[in-house]
Amino acid sequence: MDRQEAIEFLLDHYQNPRNHGPLDPVDVTMPGGNPGCGDVVTIHLKVNDAGDQIEHVTFEGTGCTISQAAASILTEMVEGRPLTEIDDMDFNDMIDQLGREVVSTRPRCATLALGTLKAAITQYRNNKIRADIDAEQRGA
Amino acid sequence: MAEYAHPEVLVDTAWVAEHLNDPNVRIVESNEDILLYDQGHIPGAIKIDWVADLNDHVVRDYLDREHFEQLLSAKGIGNDTTVVFYGDKNNWWATYALWVFKLYGHKDARIMNGGRAKWIAEGHDLTKEVPSYAPATYKAPERDDSTIRAFRDQVREHIKKSGVALVDVRSPQEYSGERTHMPEYPQEGTLRGGHIPTAASIPWAQAVKEDSTFKSRADLEALYGGKGITPDKDVIAYCRIGERSSHTWFVLTYLLGYPKVRNYDGSWTEWGNGVGLPIEKTYQS
Repeated sequence: MDRQEAIEFLLDHYQNPRNHGPLDPVDVTMPGGNPGCGDVVTIHLKVNDAGDQIEHVTFEGTGCTISQAAASILTEMVEGRPLTEIDDMDFNDMIDQLGREVVSTRPRCATLALGTLKAAITQYRNNKIRADIDAEQRGA
Repeated sequence: MAEYAHPEVLVDTAWVAEHLNDPNVRIVESNEDILLYDQGHIPGAIKIDWVADLNDHVVRDYLDREHFEQLLSAKGIGNDTTVVFYGDKNNWWATYALWVFKLYGHKDARIMNGGRAKWIAEGHDLTKEVPSYAPATYKAPERDDSTIRAFRDQVREHIKKSGVALVDVRSPQEYSGERTHMPEYPQEGTLRGGHIPTAASIPWAQAVKEDSTFKSRADLEALYGGKGITPDKDVIAYCRIGERSSHTWFVLTYLLGYPKVRNYDGSWTEWGNGVGLPIEKTYQS
């Protein structure tokens, strides 16, 4: 993907965001970003019944072209993937996916959605641990 | 605009429209959103990016004199060129670029009042064509970090003095300590939330109107004077990395004519992480 193709790719996702909006049912809604800077992304996450795979992810947000396009692209990348694969996703992988030449000077914008998704997964796991402990205690 | 202390540093969109082909004028777009220029810019405008062009790529600092000369020469900017900055977000990054140019003493640097938003709102032309200018020869002095730039230890001494002022231009949530960055945020995070002791809170964007142009001089005087930021004081402004505070620096220096205003570009990303530096936190969770 050359520079112009990368720009067109990002603009397409920015102008026609995929998986945009709230999600119902949802397991975790995780806000991310820096309001002072203006880039805000909220990730809505639904995990499958087995608790090990992304069932659906949507996002809402405001901000620069790269931050919002990256969120849209990420939701397509992770649909149906195991949570452990998201754990292994590196911020550099995300930058390469978006077009390093175009986004390398804005790594924070490019990786905001990924960081927020990782935080959502952490929250999901914490919630699940608490729910399991509560269930155990009720059973006992 | 004549009401301001230094009206010569502001031009309006009509002035820019009349000078698109003026060889003595270089229009420069500087944005937060790095892809806006590619989506369309003022005809003949070049792009200068604060990360790629103005920052040192290794040390947290600005480009050195040699690279500043190379940058401006390559962009066809000479020492006598009138440089007019404009950009997104109420000219936030445009004033940041102007501030860096002033560190090197560029004589004639101006801001297009209202920025990119006003140019578009008025229906002026945009183009995707990237212009090419013949290289110039730019000679810069060594960067002057003493007049309009403040460093951490200077701020530490500053807050012990009387008759000085410190202004925090971040959002109220950042000032109070309610917000820091989210987990796994890749950069610019801070370990502590809050503000530098003695700082007054005046969010930077309060200096502009809804159409992105600057408020009147009277309104600006009331805004800053009402919080104790007055021209008789040695003033330091800060934000998170020094970009929003460059906007306030511009307002205080050029629109209100304050004689001594410095921008602390280390700002909260340095102070909020600094070992042993005092902070105040008003937010109670």
